[in-house]
This record gives sequence, C-alpha cells and structure tokens, in this order.
Amino acid sequence: MVNLMSSKGKVLWGLMAGQRMRYGAAIAAMVISAAVAFVPPLIGRATIDFVIAGKELHAPQFVKDFVERIGGRDLLVSRLWIPALVVVGLAAVGGLFMYLKGRWASIASESIARRLRSRLYDHLQRLPCSYHDKAETGDLVQRCSSDVETIRMFLAMHVVEIGRGGVMLAVAVPIMFAMNVRMALLGVVLLGPILVFSIAFFIKVKSVFKQMDEAEGAMTAMLQENLTGIRVVRAFARQEFECEKFAEKNARYRDRWRRLMRVMAWFWPLSDVLSMTQVGIVLMAGGYYIAVGTISVGTFFAFFMFVNMYLWPIRRMGKIMAELGKAMVSIGRVSEILDAEREDHADKVTDVGGPTERAGGDIVFENVSFSHGDETAVLNNVSLHVEPGRTLAILGPSGSGKSTLINLLLRLYDYRDGSIRLDGRELRDMERKFVRSQIGVVLQEPFLYSRSLRENIKLARSAAHDKEMVEAASAACVHDAISDFDSGYDTVVGEKGVTLSGGQRQRVALARAILKDPPILILDDALSSVDTRTENMILRALRRRHGRHTTLIIAHRLSTLMAADMIIVLEDGRIVQTGTHQSLLKQPGLYRRLWEIQSYLEDDLVKVEKK
Amino acid sequence: MTTQAVRLEEEEYVGQLKWSVWMKVFSFTGPHKRYMAMLAAVALIVAGIDAVFPLIYCGIVNDAVRNGAEMQLWFWVLAYGGLALLAGVCFWSMIRLAGRVSTGVAHDIRRAGFRRLQELSFSYYDRRPVGWLMARMTSDCDRLSRIIAWGTVDLVWGGCTLIGVAVVMLVLNRQLALYVLAVLPPMILLSFIFQKHLLPASRRVRRINSNITASYSESIMGVRTTKTLVREEENLREFTDLTGEMFGASVHNAILSSMYFPMILSLGSIAGGLVLWLGGVEVVADSNKIGMLIAFISYTGLFMFPIHELARLFAEAQAVQAAAERITGLLETEPEIADSPEVLAEIEKQSATAPQAETAIDGLAERIDSIEFRNVGFAYKEGKDVLMDFNLSVSSGQTIALVGPTGGGKTTIVSLLCRFYEPTAGEILIDGVEYRRRSLHWLQSNLGIVLQTPHLFSGTIRENIRYGNLRADDGQIEWAAKIVNAHEFIMEFDDGYDTQIGEGGTKLSTGQKQLVSFARAILSDPQIFVMDEATSSVDTETEQLIQQGLAKVLAGRISFVIAHRLSTIRSADRILVIEDGLVVEAGTHAELIHLAGRYYELYTNQFAEDRRSEILKSQS
Repeated sequence: MVNLMSSKGKVLWGLMAGQRMRYGAAIAAMVISAAVAFVPPLIGRATIDFVIAGKELHAPQFVKDFVERIGGRDLLVSRLWIPALVVVGLAAVGGLFMYLKGRWASIASESIARRLRSRLYDHLQRLPCSYHDKAETGDLVQRCSSDVETIRMFLAMHVVEIGRGGVMLAVAVPIMFAMNVRMALLGVVLLGPILVFSIAFFIKVKSVFKQMDEAEGAMTAMLQENLTGIRVVRAFARQEFECEKFAEKNARYRDRWRRLMRVMAWFWPLSDVLSMTQVGIVLMAGGYYIAVGTISVGTFFAFFMFVNMYLWPIRRMGKIMAELGKAMVSIGRVSEILDAEREDHADKVTDVGGPTERAGGDIVFENVSFSHGDETAVLNNVSLHVEPGRTLAILGPSGSGKSTLINLLLRLYDYRDGSIRLDGRELRDMERKFVRSQIGVVLQEPFLYSRSLRENIKLARSAAHDKEMVEAASAACVHDAISDFDSGYDTVVGEKGVTLSGGQRQRVALARAILKDPPILILDDALSSVDTRTENMILRALRRRHGRHTTLIIAHRLSTLMAADMIIVLEDGRIVQTGTHQSLLKQPGLYRRLWEIQSYLEDDLVKVEKK
Repeated sequence: MTTQAVRLEEEEYVGQLKWSVWMKVFSFTGPHKRYMAMLAAVALIVAGIDAVFPLIYCGIVNDAVRNGAEMQLWFWVLAYGGLALLAGVCFWSMIRLAGRVSTGVAHDIRRAGFRRLQELSFSYYDRRPVGWLMARMTSDCDRLSRIIAWGTVDLVWGGCTLIGVAVVMLVLNRQLALYVLAVLPPMILLSFIFQKHLLPASRRVRRINSNITASYSESIMGVRTTKTLVREEENLREFTDLTGEMFGASVHNAILSSMYFPMILSLGSIAGGLVLWLGGVEVVADSNKIGMLIAFISYTGLFMFPIHELARLFAEAQAVQAAAERITGLLETEPEIADSPEVLAEIEKQSATAPQAETAIDGLAERIDSIEFRNVGFAYKEGKDVLMDFNLSVSSGQTIALVGPTGGGKTTIVSLLCRFYEPTAGEILIDGVEYRRRSLHWLQSNLGIVLQTPHLFSGTIRENIRYGNLRADDGQIEWAAKIVNAHEFIMEFDDGYDTQIGEGGTKLSTGQKQLVSFARAILSDPQIFVMDEATSSVDTETEQLIQQGLAKVLAGRISFVIAHRLSTIRSADRILVIEDGLVVEAGTHAELIHLAGRYYELYTNQFAEDRRSEILKSQS
C-alpha cells in the first residue's frame, strides 16, 4: 500500500512538472491565511481583558512594547476603533492570501489538467491499432474525462484542504497550550473521535453509494432500452408491461437513494452533536474557570473562537480521505494509458523521406507473413508486385487476409516476416508518417468527423481550392447528393448534424481520398453500399485518372474487378490465383464462379418465362 | 426527421424566475405535501435553534462574571445539551424528510414521464434524440427534485435564521444591532452578484468539457482514419485549442469563486470589528454587558451562511427553471395519435359487458379480413411528400412485397399501416372501417413486426421471445423458435433459452438477433405480419429453411415484406416497386420480369449479389 502510494506520488509529482513553484506558492498562501485567521480572536482576547477589563496584557513582548509606546491602555480604551480596525485589516490580509491560494492553486491545477488532457489525446492517437482493437472506447473516454477531472479536483481543492486542517491544528494547539493547559486539553479531547468517526463513516458509506449508483444504472439502462426500442414496444402494444418493469427499477432506485439519505441522516447529526459537544465542553469548562477565576473572559473568548475554527476542517477530513482514495485510483487508470507504448516506440528510421517527396508507387510484397499475437497466420508467405500507375484487384472470402494486406502496407500493423518495399525502399526503415502520406485509403465503413462536409473532404489537403473539392466530389459521384442538402458543403455530419447513408459516407470518403491525390489509392470494399449504377459511374471516373495512382481495390463485384491490370485471389492468407480477367476466366476457381453467376441468372429468368 | 424543428439546446438560460413554472413544479409534491410541511417546520425550528445558541454563550459568561463560583453551571450544561440534542434530532429529521420528498418527487415525475413517453407518437421521437429524452428523465429530474426539497430547506432555514438573528440582536441591543445589520445589504448584494456570474461561468466550463469528451471519443473511434490521413498533429493542435479554452474558462470560474468567500469574510469582519468597537465602548461603561458582546460577535459569524445559501438557491433556481420547463413540457405534450373520444366511449361501454372472442375491445369485429389504402399520402413536413396517392387492397392470406431504393417510401407505408403515423391524405380502411375509428391498442396488439435492426431487451432469450405473448408457455416459445430455425443455435448455448443476452442483445450476432425477434413476432400470433428486411443478416441456408416454415405461419394472415432477399419477394402475391413515394411498377414476379423495367434491374442485381455472397461465404 505504501509502495503503491509512493509510486502514485511519483506519477503525480511528474505531472506537476512546471507548476511545482506555483503550487508551492499556493500552499504557502494557504498557510499564511490559516495562520492569520487565528490572530483576530487573540486581539479580541486582549481587547476584552486588557483594554476593557483593565487586566494585564497577554501578548508577545514586541506587541506590549508597541502598545506602551503608542500610549498604553489609556489611549486604547478611548479609541476602541483601533483594535477593531486591526481585526478588519487582518481579515482583509487573510482574505487576500485566501484569494491568492485559490488563484494559484487553480491556475496550477488547471495547467496540469490541460497538459494531461493533451498528453492523453496525443498518446491515444499514437497508440498502435492493436491497442485500440482491444480497448473499449467508453472506458478510454471515461479515463480521459472523469478520471482527469478527479485528479484535477484533488490537486485544486483536496490537497490544500488536508493541508489547511493540519496547519490550523499546528497553529492553534501551541497557542492554546500557552494560554491554558487544561483548557487546551479539553479543547481537543473530542477531535480524535470526530476524525475517526468521519473517516470510518465514509469508508462504510462507499458501499451504499455504490448500490445507489448500480440501481441508477439499471434504471437508466432500462430507460435507454425502452426509448431506443420504442417501435418494438408499440408493435407489440406492450406499454403496460414496460411501465410495470420501469416502475420496479424506478422504485428500486428511489429506495436505494433513500437508504443513502438514511445513512447520511445519521452521519451529519451525529457528527454535529459530537462537534457541539466539543464546543460545549469548552464553553462549560470555560464558564467554570471564569467563575473560579482561573481564566479571564478574554481567554475564554479566544478558546471558544478557536474551537469553532478548527472543527469544520476536521469534520470534513473523512470526505477528503474518500476523495484521496478516488484520486489514487484515477491516477492509476490514467497512467495505464500513458504507460502503453506508442506505435513508433521501436521504430528505427534510417530512410528519411523529404516532406514534399512524392513516391513513385511501385509496391513489392516479398514472402510476407503475419499473425495477430500467437493466433494462426492471417497472411502466409505473400509475394506480389504492382508497378506504378497500375491497378491491382484483390478478391477473396471474408477472413482471407485482404484487409490485413492493406493494413500492413499502411503500417497500421507491423510486419515481422518478409519484406514490403515502396519504390524499392524497405517500408519499416521509413517514417510511418511518410508512408501514410503517400496512400489514400477508403474503408468499407469510413469514419467521418462531426464537422462540415467541406472540412471532411479537405481533411487530407486543407489548402485545396473549392473547385478541386467539387471535382473530387463529382468524381466520387457525391456532388449532387451534397448539393441537395440545405447547406450544401457546409452541412455538418455525424452526431451533431445530418446522418448520411452508408453509400453516401463511402462516397464522401472516396472524394476525400481523391482530393488527397496520393501516389497510391486503396479502396477496401469501399463501394459495397453504393448501388451498381453509381458504382459504374465512379469506376469510369477513376479510370479517367488511370496512371495517376497505383490502385489497390478490394471488391466482390466483377464489374469492379475486371478492369484491373492484375487480379489476385486470396484464400486463408495465401495467394491462390493471379492473373487478368481473361486468364482467370480460363481457370477454375473463385473468379470464374463469380463470372458464372450471369448464366445462372439467365437460367433463373428462363424459368420465369416457362411458368 | 427534422431536428431543427424543436429547440433542443441544453443551454440553460438565466431568465426571470417564472411564478407559473414553479407553481407547476410544486404541484409535483402532491402526495408528499405532508412531508413538505414537516420539512418546512423542522427548518424553522433549526433556524430558531441557531438564533438561540449565542444567547447561551451570553448567559454563561454573564453568569460566571456576575456570580463567580455561585453560577448555575448545571443549568447551562442542561440548556446547552438539550439544545444540542434537539438540533441533532432536527438535523436528522430534516435530512430524512428532504430525502423522502426529493426521492419521492423524482420517482413520481419519472413514472409520469415514462408513461407519457409510452403514449407519445413517433413524430415526437423523430424530433428528439434518445439522449435528449434520457437527460430529461435522469439529470433534469434529479435536479428538479433536489431543488424542491433542499431549496425549501434553504429558503425556510436561511430566511428564518436571518430574521431570527436580526430580531434577537435588536432585542438585546437595538443600537448596536442596527450598526451590525448595516453590513447585511452589501453582503446580500455581493452574494447575488457573484452567484449570478458564477453560474454562467461554471456552465461554460461544463459545455467545453462535454466538447472535450466528444473530441476524445471521436479521436478514439476515428483513430484509423487519423493515422491514414496523417492527421495526428493537426488533431492535437485543434484539441490543444480546446483545452486552452477549457483552461481559460475554468481559471476564470475558479478565480471568481476564490474572490467571493474572502470578500464575504472581510465584510463579516467589519461587522465583528463594529461590535468590538461600539460594543466594547458599552462594556467599558458597564462590565455586566460582556456576555452581550460575545453573543454579538457570534451573531456576526452567523450571517454569512444563510446569505450564501439563499444566493446560491436563487441562482440555482434560475438554472433549474429550464429543466422544469422541459419536464412540464414533456408531461403536458398530448400524443398526436390516440383513440378518439368516440372510440374511448365505445371501449368503456364494451368493458362493462362480458368479453366475446369475435368482438374486439372497441366493439367491432376482432377478425381482420381486408385492409385498403385509399389515395393515401404522407408528409413529415408540409410540402415534402414521402408518399403520394397510394392505393392498395389486401385480404387475409396475401403477402405484399415492397421493393425499391432506400428512402423511397417503403417503410412509410408500413409505418402508416401500423398507425405509427397517420396518413396526411386519404384513408386506410380495415374491413371497410376507417382505422382511426378503431382502437389503437387493438390494432397494435394484432401486429407482428420484425425489423432489420432487431431490438432486443436485456434478459434471457426466453424472456425476449415471450415478449410477443406474455402468457405463452415454454412449449410455445420453443415452437416459435423452431419455425425460424433459431432453436438449434439457442440450444448450443450452455444455458439454452435461459442465456442472458446482455444489454441490447450484445452477446448475439445480428443474424441471431433477427431470428429471435422473428420468433417473438410469430409467438404474438398477429393478424398482420410486417417484415422489414427481417432476415438480411441470416445466411442463405437458414433463410430458405425459414421460408419453408413461414409459409404455414403466414396462412390466413396479411403480410407485408420489405426485402432484398429474392426468395422472400418472389413468392409474394403482389410486388410493388416504390420510388420517390410513388408506385412505379406492380404485379407478380413473372409479370414484372416480363416488363423488364425497374424490377427487372433490381432483381438481376440482387440475384448476382446473393449468389456472390453465397460463393464468398462458402469458401471460408
């Protein structure tokens, strides 16, 4: 546990880099404001005892000297506004430092949070795809948002508050013992029990909170299911059934919430009564000691004010300890992300491409094999060669390794066996960034950002002219669809805007890739949701650009495949057939079977005629 | 369909408090009125206790100073102890009561809201995302119920403490009290000004925060796209702008609130200083007043909390008002599609007589022999027709297939048939009776619908199939599952029919979900069967087995099929090709093939598509 805490502490210390001075200043300001807060009661004491009652002045020597110099009690008794003004002045000074504490602590903690957020963001997009394959989006987002928030709150408020409680006691206790030992002892007699009670309570209440959260989660989940499935509910006229089901979850949540309130209803009053007892002890003992003459009214006043001042931070300690636990968990969860290795952590770049360099587009795969972890090989000894400007079509059943081929070329996964070369240069010796910038890819389920269509299409070339964008969109056969929207290219897509159909998304992504105008263009089953007529138009447009890009097309429709310069058929990670449309028709295999569909269709239509 | 049609902004505006809204809000406390009254009473007592405590301090000091060792210490111990105990009991009941009221109110609003959501028409849902509705039912509801209970406490306690303290002070020493109370107005003013600024500041932080969360989730979901487009650096730059904005807003907010308390405390110390000065002068003249001095100093410390709480309450109330309006808006929305008064009256009348098998709850025939669409048109928005002049007559036993491009109007026809929407032109007749004159519940109980994206509920497979007929026994459930060929895969699970399928059925593949929802529809024994791409994700072999079983099931029912799958379409009695809201071709499979038009094109494309996926699947 101690080890764990110290390792978390190290992480925290690391995060604070650059803000440590400011954070330290915030703590110093907090110490000053806490210490200054104890002076006014002492002034009250001196005023009551020395000025008003005319007793001896209890104060440090320099204060006594100063008071004597300005005229002693005689002056003060006729000018009571002087101590009053000192009290107000001290409060203002204390307030100023309190403000500075808040200001510095918040700037420091917000800076730390800002850096942490950006670091997480950058790290996440540089983690390898294999990491993202396994991780859940919701969990990652939660870590980046609420865990970071917990850490921020901890830094901005909780650390300072724990410190404040400690400082208050550290200042108050010596002064109290100096004033009167017995009263001082009585003044702290219940602090231990209050602290223990507070901490013990928040440990216990954790499970009650958890149960309430679970009940709330169950109710929310049921509500969500009902609302998303409202058509099913109506279709079966199950409204009553649903209402009953909801009533049960709703009541359970209410009851769990009430249970939490019941527990709380014991904690706060008990804690209150304990605190009031502590105050009462000081009050009664003080009254008694005044009566017997052991202490003065002023001393009583000072004790009374002190107790009231340090009780509150002590009572809150339990809650803060609970927050401390949460913050430690959050730090752990966040560092799990940051500790994962970036995709380029082991890269040895020996072949640096110039920033404006344009590759020729000559692609060679030589004996490439690949497997995820220790699973069976997804690709097995694949070799192929595509010359610049040529088109390679890839055909194969699902799971045959088509997409893996593409992913290796894009270096989304790292190949270990064999060699992949672009223009004769080994892929793994080059910067990933360079390789990717040479390739435009359209996936089967393309991702569009929730911003305008214009921005989405121009993502890869933000400097592109609108005219070029429209040309690209026209080539991808999506210009008309976009023009039909009320706001045209300014239409926002995604969560905050218009939902596009699968085919429209594919075409926008294609326009994006065309606008990028890369040496290598990859369509990974990218026209599967586009209807045949549109597909043919797109293919014609792409053919006009023939020679501009080396093109890799994964597809199932013959119309797409047949025009390629070379077609390969993949099965179980191996290339089983290679050839052109003409040569593959002559061999038995997948390609010819697809071709034969046409004759089946004719048979089928003949059957209709006969009927 | 048109998200813009309704103001959906989460933005809470800070406007004037509206009496009418809060009157409505307080009507939610209906069954909890008694607790509300008790709560107010307890808050009042607590305020009284708070105002009395300093009198004890005053008393003890005065007693000790005047009477020395003869002081009545035990009297003070008892008085203080008694008051502390009473305070404890009051706090306890205050938390219990407020908890009771807030949880009760939240529960009641949610219950009423849920019921209303079950009644509202789909047109309501079309304009509001599920997330928006969820927020009304969860966070809005909680905030509103909290402010009802705790706001009452703050209002009564805060107000009464202020009044109580002022009264006691005025009684103790009028002149001194007036000086001290002079600090109140600036304190109140300052509190309200700060709260007014703090609220929008913290809201801005929340809004930026939700943008940050959205950015994270977009970046994680689009990570491949980012990598392939080499967007990492630009993305980070944009994100850094966002975190910078967050930094600015948060720091502004934090600095504002770190200014607030020191200022209030300083103002409070002015009151304390005034007491020390002017009170001190009085004590110099009469040492018996020392107790009064201590009591007054305590009182100056008592002001701040009620003022702070009241200012916070008013600021919060302005924010919650928007939530309150949204909730009352939801509860007051009348469903656009509901039984007419005449139908309701008939149902009332029928429920008095003994139910008969051949009579439906609305007094008309239970059996459906024919359905007719007569010149039916529909538009979600005026001027944007999605279906025009649609005519169709179907009698029981017949299957109608609807084909055509997405968005052409196929689903609209089915939605109108199910009365999820009502025609904006023309009429739909069930056995010659306009269907708006029939009971909605009766019609929808007679529907069996299978959708392309099947929606299942968390629970077991058995529970999900039983959703079609709550009275079905296990035998009937298995029978339905066998018809759609789901029995085999279900039995492959360790728990068979009792397998938990997870939230939304995540443990099943899409094809399996389609089968389960198909079995569910069959179990409901509907007179009208609607299949909207119902088996699109099921493999060809299973699909053919289903077709065989289905032939028996569909006998004697009216069925509508929207499908790409040819086997389903080919056997339909009538095929309609729908494009842009119009029927462009109609007839049997053979007739339409001969026509060699749109259907011919669709059919041949689909034929190739089907064969292709068959060939590619059999390879793996």
